[in-house]
Amino acid sequence: MNGNGLAPEIRRRLIQACQRIVGPEGVVSAPDELRVYECDALTYYHRSMPDLVVLPISTPQVSEVVRLCQDVGVPFLPRGAGTGLSGGATPHAGGVMIVLTRMTRILGVDVPNRMATVEAGCVNLWLTNAVKHAGLFYAPDPASQQACTIGGNVAENAGGPHCLKYGVTTNHVLGATVVLPGGEVARLGGMVADGPGYDLLGVFVGSEGTLGICTEVTVRLMPQPEAVKTILAVFRTIEDASHTVSGIIGRGIIPVAMELMDRETIQAVEANVKAGYPLDAGAVLLIELDGPRAEIEAEAVGVEAVCRDQACLEVRVARTEEERALLWKGRKEAAGSFGRIAHHYHLQDAVVPRTKLPQVLREIAEIGARYGIKIANVAHAGDGNVHPMICVDRDVPGCEERAMAAGSEIMRRCIEAGGSVTGEHGIGLEKRDYLGLMYTPADLAVMRRVRAVFDPAGLCNPGKIFPDTAEHAGASHSPRGPSAVSKP
Amino acid sequence: MIGATSALGDLRAMVGAEFLVTGEALEAYRLGGRKPQAAIVPADDVEVSKTLTRAWEEGLAVVPWGGGTHQSVGPPPSRYDLALDLGRLNRLLVHEPADMTATAQAGIRMVELQRQLAQHRQFLPLDVPLPERAMLGGVLSARSSGPLRCRYGTARDLVLGLRVAHADGTLTKSGAKVVKNATGYDVTKLYLGSHGTLGVILEATLRVYPRPDVEQGWWLAAHDLGTAQTLADRILGSSLVPNRAEMVDEDAGRACRMPGPGLVVSISGLPETVQGQRATLERMAAESGVMPAEIRDAEGTWRALSDFPWVNVGWNGGGMRALWRGGAPPADCAKAMLAIRQAAPRSVGVSAAASVAHGILRGGFLAEAPEAVAHGLRAAREVLVAIGGFLTVLDAPAPVRAQVDEWGPAPDGVGVMQRLKTAFDPKGILNPGRFVGGI
Repeated sequence: MNGNGLAPEIRRRLIQACQRIVGPEGVVSAPDELRVYECDALTYYHRSMPDLVVLPISTPQVSEVVRLCQDVGVPFLPRGAGTGLSGGATPHAGGVMIVLTRMTRILGVDVPNRMATVEAGCVNLWLTNAVKHAGLFYAPDPASQQACTIGGNVAENAGGPHCLKYGVTTNHVLGATVVLPGGEVARLGGMVADGPGYDLLGVFVGSEGTLGICTEVTVRLMPQPEAVKTILAVFRTIEDASHTVSGIIGRGIIPVAMELMDRETIQAVEANVKAGYPLDAGAVLLIELDGPRAEIEAEAVGVEAVCRDQACLEVRVARTEEERALLWKGRKEAAGSFGRIAHHYHLQDAVVPRTKLPQVLREIAEIGARYGIKIANVAHAGDGNVHPMICVDRDVPGCEERAMAAGSEIMRRCIEAGGSVTGEHGIGLEKRDYLGLMYTPADLAVMRRVRAVFDPAGLCNPGKIFPDTAEHAGASHSPRGPSAVSKP
Repeated sequence: MIGATSALGDLRAMVGAEFLVTGEALEAYRLGGRKPQAAIVPADDVEVSKTLTRAWEEGLAVVPWGGGTHQSVGPPPSRYDLALDLGRLNRLLVHEPADMTATAQAGIRMVELQRQLAQHRQFLPLDVPLPERAMLGGVLSARSSGPLRCRYGTARDLVLGLRVAHADGTLTKSGAKVVKNATGYDVTKLYLGSHGTLGVILEATLRVYPRPDVEQGWWLAAHDLGTAQTLADRILGSSLVPNRAEMVDEDAGRACRMPGPGLVVSISGLPETVQGQRATLERMAAESGVMPAEIRDAEGTWRALSDFPWVNVGWNGGGMRALWRGGAPPADCAKAMLAIRQAAPRSVGVSAAASVAHGILRGGFLAEAPEAVAHGLRAAREVLVAIGGFLTVLDAPAPVRAQVDEWGPAPDGVGVMQRLKTAFDPKGILNPGRFVGGI
């Protein structure tokens, strides 16, 4: 699909105005170059070209571009590295895409206060690497941390394997400089916690680029733990593995990570990266403990006991940093490894109460069998966050439709089990229709009210999150047709 | 007020005369010299909803009321017709120990909630002041916290979802009952700390934690606050995992039965965990020239620290007493505490403590003259604002309030806050005039 919906004359004037703001090198307008920006990492769902892409280098530039969009009445949206998995950075309504990847600086690391301030385009992993020397790290670690930006993490409230113990992005963001949809710049939160007033920062984090564009972020850094222990537990069945998860949490042990991979995932991973997962296993759990040495030694004993209770086939503890890195490589490459078993897959992100994990994983398997669709499972199991990978063979007629149907049934089962539609990927474009499974119209009306307060004109990343794309006269932002611009 | 009279009649008919309080008993709901026309004590969500709908229709100003411990925060309401007492919504609805989650109603008292969670050896790590009186809904509305935030965070980190009654009586939920959720906007965060100006919290789903096997505390008496800060920075930047790290000045120390300025640090976990970290802590203390002393009456000390300055500010005597809460960058706590003391008029007694991991300060001022107390508060606010912080008046007598703004300068984004208030409560019936920016 093509998002170029602006009248040529208006587009030309917009390009000129943006070039004046950010310089000619900061504007992308050639159609073949714009194609890069037609979707984020949700590639199968919807593609749409932005009318132009602007790459500002400062907060005032972002503000000016946003004001320009408001003046002209064109939609705009932010984009970081485009690693989002729900279509949050897909320019659904065309318009101006504001890309933050030229704002990558680490503005300051404050070791005594255990904080850092970065520009929104700073890559997640760069920050952890930059503070390592001070014995600190930045906890949220999405799988894409080598590429994804902190600003994008803020927009999506990104998680990651290590969020079981440390929490997700919202628990680590102390402040943000935000360009509000009207173009005003506001500093939400800051180095000091608990400031008076409504927690605008709290509602901004995870708002998927619909409440404004964050340009700078102040985050909390954590001291590195004294010791880390990484354990691979091997099981005959996924059921045994998931009972182990509940057993460990039920004992009051909170590992820093507890990742589950099923047989299909193990096969794919081993074919790809050879992490050393046993090929005959029904499931493995990758369990990591961190903290004071004495504590994790004691906890490791508890973890092993629970594993044995669940008829675990093997418990393997990484003895060296290399062994640990290899075990994690398998997990981190899991999604990438699915290319080995399927040409396409749909990745889901539901959350269920951790005690419901055995039941829900059983139901997912049943659903897969019923639809004749291969479903592989990886899960941030300690949080109850399941990532079923629904394999799609587009050469088989009807497979795509069956995969979609299986996907919605899985989603419904997770909600019925008391869960949530998305744990860390966000709603974006992909899951809009599922929102109503979880929230009543009255619940959603509250969210829309917030949206209308921040963005009365509805120009900031329109069409995302909410089920009906008609919000805020969405029709006038139709990606096709010259009516996309209400005011020249 | 014919509409109001008929509304009160309708409400009485709904809850029964026993639960529609009028007359002398309204003293308990007095705020800033003003009493409401009535106080209603609904039995459940539906009655809360109907109460609000009726108040909404008549434009009655409603003050949601829990244990009343934080009703002194902010100015008194600009209008006040009805106190909405949530004391009968007092149940723990669900506790899933294996999921480490619980859902409780707003009117449950904090001690009662903890008692019930303790039956499965779990607890909610919100060690707020006055837990015998404080109720969950009020604690969340005031975003109150205690020393345990050092390890476990605040309501922001612990609340997974809320059920809320809106100004017109609509009931909605936010968040979920699972520990991880990125579905739609995190509107839960807006209600936390909003002092009942956006909606009335009815129930909350909470992240709960296992009670530690052992907890050991140390009193680290320092020569001065600067030494205490250096030691605190060292501990908090290390791989130690303290539960609490509280810095107290001499007077706050006295309130908590500890001599002189210093640090209180506690560590919990399995016995071997605590032993393992003890050695490191003692070494760090020794290197700072500080002698650690084990705290014997741990429970008493934790309570005193949580309750400071609400219960005991460190000195006795009459006069004008003001309590405050402030924020500073964590590494500047000692500097701020010293500057606040220096900036206060000499006639003012000052005591202060800080949750040093997050830079949250709290304290009290005492003097005969309201002008002196107000001057102290304004000066303390200047000190904190200059380093990026803030100061909120928690409680003060009317003559002091007359001379100092309870919330201080408007924060960034106050325009958005005011528009949010208008969108959530267009008639302005929920706690009018009590919050930041005239909200």
